[in-house]
Amino acid sequence: MSRELTNRVFSTATWFAAGLCGLVLFFMFAIITWNGIRAINFEFLFAASRNFGAAGGIFYQIIGSLLLILFAALICLPLALGTAIFKSEYLHNARVQKLCAILVYGLNGVPSVIFGIFGLIFFVNVLQTGVSWFVGSIILAIMMLPTVVLAAYHAINSVPEIYRESASALGLNRWQVIVKVLLPQATSGAISGLFLGLARAIGETAPIMFIATAFSGIDIPGSFLDPVTSLPTHILALAQQAVDARALENAWGASLVLISLVTVFSTLGLWGRMKLKTSSLR
Amino acid sequence: MTRSTGLRIIQPGALPEAAAAVKVNDLNVWFGTAHILREIAVSFQEYRINCIVGPSGSGKSTLIRSINRMNDDVAGYCAKGTIHVDGKDIMSESINVAKLRQEVGMVFQKPCVFPKSISENVLFGMQDLKKLTVQERLQIVENNLKLTALWREVSHRLHDKAVTLSLGQQQRLCIARTLAVKPKVVLLDEPTSSLDPVSSRAVEELMLELKKEYTIVFVTHNIQQAQRVADHLVFMCNGGVIEQGSKQKLFHNPEKELTRKYLNEEYCDC
Repeated sequence: MSRELTNRVFSTATWFAAGLCGLVLFFMFAIITWNGIRAINFEFLFAASRNFGAAGGIFYQIIGSLLLILFAALICLPLALGTAIFKSEYLHNARVQKLCAILVYGLNGVPSVIFGIFGLIFFVNVLQTGVSWFVGSIILAIMMLPTVVLAAYHAINSVPEIYRESASALGLNRWQVIVKVLLPQATSGAISGLFLGLARAIGETAPIMFIATAFSGIDIPGSFLDPVTSLPTHILALAQQAVDARALENAWGASLVLISLVTVFSTLGLWGRMKLKTSSLR
Repeated sequence: MTRSTGLRIIQPGALPEAAAAVKVNDLNVWFGTAHILREIAVSFQEYRINCIVGPSGSGKSTLIRSINRMNDDVAGYCAKGTIHVDGKDIMSESINVAKLRQEVGMVFQKPCVFPKSISENVLFGMQDLKKLTVQERLQIVENNLKLTALWREVSHRLHDKAVTLSLGQQQRLCIARTLAVKPKVVLLDEPTSSLDPVSSRAVEELMLELKKEYTIVFVTHNIQQAQRVADHLVFMCNGGVIEQGSKQKLFHNPEKELTRKYLNEEYCDC
């Protein structure tokens, strides 16, 4: 095969792959929007669900999902920053660094249902917390941790060595160099990773189903140990009533709201990542 | 450190010998198994421009970085010998390295400004910044920018990002940032190598001004530059000091043939 033909074949193959991905995503969005838009109105967004979701809205499901991921973010961010700084600045042994990387990547590959089972056994059964939204936030935080740690770690590594040297040469000690030079860079990286993690976490059903959520009859939780309702578990419950046309329409509506939230978080994360790349190149 | 006083008749372009601000004795440095500096014994005089010249790989940067222990963070670094700064043995285990670096400031080859404003860059290394009023901070910024002849150029845009400055201005800002910490010795590692001739001249003039207040140790590849600014000259080759002395002596009456050849920019085995 001539060089020009090989080039053309590979070029066509990559265009085909990218186009197929884009097309699948477009159709998914289009179908959800087409079916879901009919359910969206003021009442649907701001009223409580009734009749097991077949009537009313999804207000408390939205609040429950946002509460879960807000606290997951608050737990995850400091842990991820600490881990990334420890790995980058204090862990000098190459073997231990490699082991740390394997653990982080390994954690990223654990199926989400396993996190749910772990939460059920450790928190609900052993620590006797009961079904609690806060436990759900902890589990989601652990699930997001690898994404955020890796984003923060790459952000720290993108800080040019000359910045560290220049700061040290001014008489700043190691902690001051971390706080004044590395942390601002790592935080922006970690936050961009956090949004990508949140985009994944808000759509997760399995890890929170057994430990944090109830399917109906719940409004704003009164304490850390109360359950919440959430969008993914609500969609699951509605999908199980697929014979009811109204329930199905609400499931499409809730899916549209969920996918919009995922898109917002993903966009914020990707925007942060692009901004970080631009500033590190400067 | 005390300044020498009293009247003396000085030849044009030549300054009398001054007390040593930095004394290096029997310094050997290794990075892993590579023996980089061998039996270095030099002294750098106070309130003078002490210039280290030599070809690439001769150990100039390693020597200058040993004076504020910047090499400590390099993997495989090992050193033997003594370095005294202002009479203190800085190789001692008990020395506070961060404090040493406040006393021995360093400016690098490539200007490195932080992604902050011009005024924030000047104040970046200051330790007790929170205790100072806004007025006091502004005064520090102004004083140090004036010292580095940048004030007139940037006084109207102190809150602009430092990266918007030209490379030459950035390098002078780096020097201002170093001076704000109030060091006694300023180490300059090829500070003009990435600058254009006009900016290089500005930095040279700045050094001539700064030597009234600071001891300067300056590394350069540029023989003409050394001839223009140096008071005391150290010629290094293959990790050793070949010859040292006043600029007049090394340029006009060197003891070693290698020194004569290198400073006359002739081919030498160095």
